[in-house]
Amino acid sequence: MRRLRRFLRTPEAVAGTILLTVLFAMALSASLLFPGDPQAIAGPALLPPFQDWSLPLGTDRLGRDVLAELFHGARTSLAVGLAAAAAALVIGAVVGTLAGFAGGLVDEVLMRITDAFQTVPGFLLALAFVSVVGPSLGVVVVAIALGTWTGPARIARAEVLSIRERDYVAGARVIGMRPLEIAFREVLPNALPPVLAMSSVIVAAAILTEAALSFLGLGDPNRVTWGGMIAEGRAVLRTAPFLSIVPGIALVLTVLGVYLAGEGIVETTAVRRGLS
Amino acid sequence: MTVLVSIRDLTVTYRRDGSDVAALKNITLNVQAGERLAIIGESGSGKSTLALAIAGLLPQSARAEGSIEWFSLSSLGAKAPPSVLPEGGLVGRRGRKSASKPNHTLLGGRDIGFVFQDPSASLDPVMTVGKQIAEVVRTHLGLGWPASHVRAKTLLERVHLPDPDSTIHAFPHQLSGGQKQRVAIAAAIAAGPKLLIADEATSALDTIVQAEIIALIRRLVAEDGMALLFISHDIALAAELAERIAVFRHAELIEIGGTGQIVNAPTQAYTRALLDAHIGLDAEPLLNRSG
Amino acid sequence: MNLLTVSNLIKRYSRGGKTLAAVDDVSFHVEPGETLALAGPSGSGKSTIARLVLRLIEPDGGRIEFEGDNFLALRGAALRARRARLQMVFQDPLAAFNPRATVARVLDDPLRIHGVASRFERPRRIAALLERVGLAADLAPRAIHEISGGQRQRVAIARAIATKPSLIVLDEAVSALDVSVRGQILNLLLDLQREERIAYLFISHDLGVVRAVAHRVILFDAGRIAENGDARTVIGAPQSAVGQALVAAAPRLHTTTQDAS
Repeated sequence: MRRLRRFLRTPEAVAGTILLTVLFAMALSASLLFPGDPQAIAGPALLPPFQDWSLPLGTDRLGRDVLAELFHGARTSLAVGLAAAAAALVIGAVVGTLAGFAGGLVDEVLMRITDAFQTVPGFLLALAFVSVVGPSLGVVVVAIALGTWTGPARIARAEVLSIRERDYVAGARVIGMRPLEIAFREVLPNALPPVLAMSSVIVAAAILTEAALSFLGLGDPNRVTWGGMIAEGRAVLRTAPFLSIVPGIALVLTVLGVYLAGEGIVETTAVRRGLS
Repeated sequence: MTVLVSIRDLTVTYRRDGSDVAALKNITLNVQAGERLAIIGESGSGKSTLALAIAGLLPQSARAEGSIEWFSLSSLGAKAPPSVLPEGGLVGRRGRKSASKPNHTLLGGRDIGFVFQDPSASLDPVMTVGKQIAEVVRTHLGLGWPASHVRAKTLLERVHLPDPDSTIHAFPHQLSGGQKQRVAIAAAIAAGPKLLIADEATSALDTIVQAEIIALIRRLVAEDGMALLFISHDIALAAELAERIAVFRHAELIEIGGTGQIVNAPTQAYTRALLDAHIGLDAEPLLNRSG
Repeated sequence: MNLLTVSNLIKRYSRGGKTLAAVDDVSFHVEPGETLALAGPSGSGKSTIARLVLRLIEPDGGRIEFEGDNFLALRGAALRARRARLQMVFQDPLAAFNPRATVARVLDDPLRIHGVASRFERPRRIAALLERVGLAADLAPRAIHEISGGQRQRVAIARAIATKPSLIVLDEAVSALDVSVRGQILNLLLDLQREERIAYLFISHDLGVVRAVAHRVILFDAGRIAENGDARTVIGAPQSAVGQALVAAAPRLHTTTQDAS
C-alpha cells in the first residue's frame, strides 16, 4: 500500500498509469462497446472523423469503423507486447542464470548463442521468422521474443556472476542442495530486480515491433492491429490522413505510457533500496 | 582543558516504516581538544549515529534536535585566554537555534577527518591513492597539484606505507586491507583536521594489523594535537587507546569517565557486563577440559 | 580413528602472472568431539583451508579423508549426501542466508534435501531445532532480515546441526557478533559439542576466543603451519614469530594508558 502511494507520488508514474489504464480499459471493453467483427463494414467509406456521431472517428477505405478498430487493435498491441516481453524475460533470465551459474563450457556455449542472436538485428530476425513460418498471433509473439531475449540474458548473467560468490550460495552447497535448485531457487530470484527494471523498455519495443510487422503485412491477418491500420491508411495519406494519424497517436501514447510507468516503478524501488 | 565540540541534548530520530526510531536520546557530551575519547557500544547503541552527527553526515531521513557547537582552536598551544568563542554551530533542522549565528561553516575533511570501517568503500577504486590524498590537500589547503602531490607523499610516509614513491601511484585494489586503511587515514588527516573520527576503523582487520593501526592513530593524534573520537564495539581495544570512555546503550549515554575508572570501577551494570564479556588471553576458559 | 585427516594440502592462486600458494603443504587431523582452532593473520590461509575441507573449492594437491573415506573422490550425489555430516557456520549470518528466506525455510531445506523428516513432520522438527539452539519456535515464520544478529547466528547453528553432522566448520562464527551475544553463542556451541559429540574446526583470528574454546590450535603464517599444539600451551608461550605477534597484538583490559593526563 505504502509502495503504491510512493509510486503515485512521482508525476511520470501518474501520467503513465493514466495512459495505461485507458489503454487497458479500451482493450477490455472492446467487445462490449463494439460487439461483432470490427472488420465489418459499418458505413460509407472514408467518412472523416467528428461528422457522424455514430462513427466518431470516421471510417476507412472499406467503410469500417475506425474507433472500433482502434479498440480492438489495443487488444492485439497489448497482448502481443506483454506476451512477447514476458517470453523474452523468461528465456533471458533462464539462459543468463544457467550461463552465469554453470560457468565454463555451458557459459561459453550459451553466451556465443546469445552473441549470434544479438548480431542479427532483432527486427530482421522477426521479419525472417514470420515470413518463413507464416503470420499468426503466436508466431508474431515468438518472432519478437527471439530478438529481445538477449538483453535480459546478459543482465541476468552479470547479476548471477556476482551472486554466485555470496556466502548463502556456498551455504546452499554445504547443505547439499542440487546445482539446479541453487540456480533457480537461491540465485535467480535475487538476480531478477535489474532484469525486471528492463521490462518496460522491452514491452515498449515489442509493441513497436508488432506494429512494424503488421505495417509490412506480416501481422495476424484475422486481427485488427494498429500497424495494419497505419498501412491501410497509407494509400490515402493525402486525402484521408486521419486514417494513419489516429492509430499512430494511439501507438505513441501507449509506448509513452509504458515507459513512464516503468520509470515510476524503477524510481519507487530505487527509493526503497536507498532507504534500507 | 579546552572544549573542542560541545554536544547538548542531541536527539536523532530516523523514520522507518512509518514510525520514529530514536538513534540517540538527549546526549550531552564534550569532546576536549586533543583528547582521545572512545565511544563504546553494541549494534544499535547509536555510537555510529553520534559520529555521523558530529561530522554533519547524517542522512536526509534523519531528524536531529539539540545542538553541536564547535569552539575555536586558535587558542590551542598559544597563550590565548581560555575564554573560547563559539565559532560555528550545527543545529538540527527542527531543533532550537544555537546561541550564535554560524559565521564559519564546518567542513568535513578540513575540520574533521573521518575513517570508516571499510576502507575499500571510502576510497575511489579508479583513482590512484596519491591523487585521492592530493585532492583533499588541494581542496582544503588551496595548494596546487604539484605541491599537493609532494604533500601526499609526505602523508604516505607518515602513515608508514612501504615505498611511498611507488605506493603513490597504486590503485586501492593493489593494496592490502591494512594498507588501504593507512591510505584512508592519510586522506583523513591530510588537511590537518582538529578532530579525527575513527568509526570501527580496525574491525575489519586482523589482530596484528589492528594493533599496528591503533599504534599509528595514537602517534598521529599526538603529533598533530588532534582530538580523537574512537568508535568501537571492543572495550578492551578502546581501553588501550583512549583516555576517556563513553558507554552507549539503546541510543543513550549511560556512563562516561576516565579509562581507569570505567575499566576498574564501572558504575553501571551494563559496563560491568561488557567488561566481563571480554574474552582476553587471561580469561577463564569456557571449555570444560575434563569433559 | 581420526574424523578428518588432511594431508599435504596445497592450493595455489595466480595473481598478476605469479603463482602464490595460499595453502602450502598443510597436514592436520581432527578427532571426534574435539575443537581444533585454525588461527593466524588474514591471508594466512586459514579460511582457504575451511573452504577446501568443505569442497567449496578444489585443492591443487593433497588428500582429505573424512569419516574414513577419501573425501576428495566423492562426486555429485554421493558428495551431496555426505555433506549432511560436514557442516559450516559463516561469519556474517546475514550474508549466509538467502535475503528472501524465512527462518522456517532455511531450516526446512536440509531436512528436505537429506530426507531427515517427511513433509508433515518437518514443522515439528523445525520447532525442535529452534528450541535446541535457544530460540522460540514461533520465530519460524519470520524473515531472516527481521531477526537480530544473535538470533540469526543461532538459526545458522540450528541449520548446521539439522542433519546430525560429526564436524562443523566455524569460520569466524562469532567475530561479527556483539560481545554480549558472543559468549552465549560460544556456550551454545560447547553445549552442543558435549551432548552430541560434534567436532569443530574453529577458524578465528582472535586468540582470546581460541584459548577459551579450543582443545588444540594450529597457527598459520603465509599458508604454512607455523606452530601447533595444546591451545592454552601454545597461546601461553608461543614459539613462532607469528604466534608471538598475535599474542602481543591481542587487546588487553586492565592496562590503563600510561600517558593519560
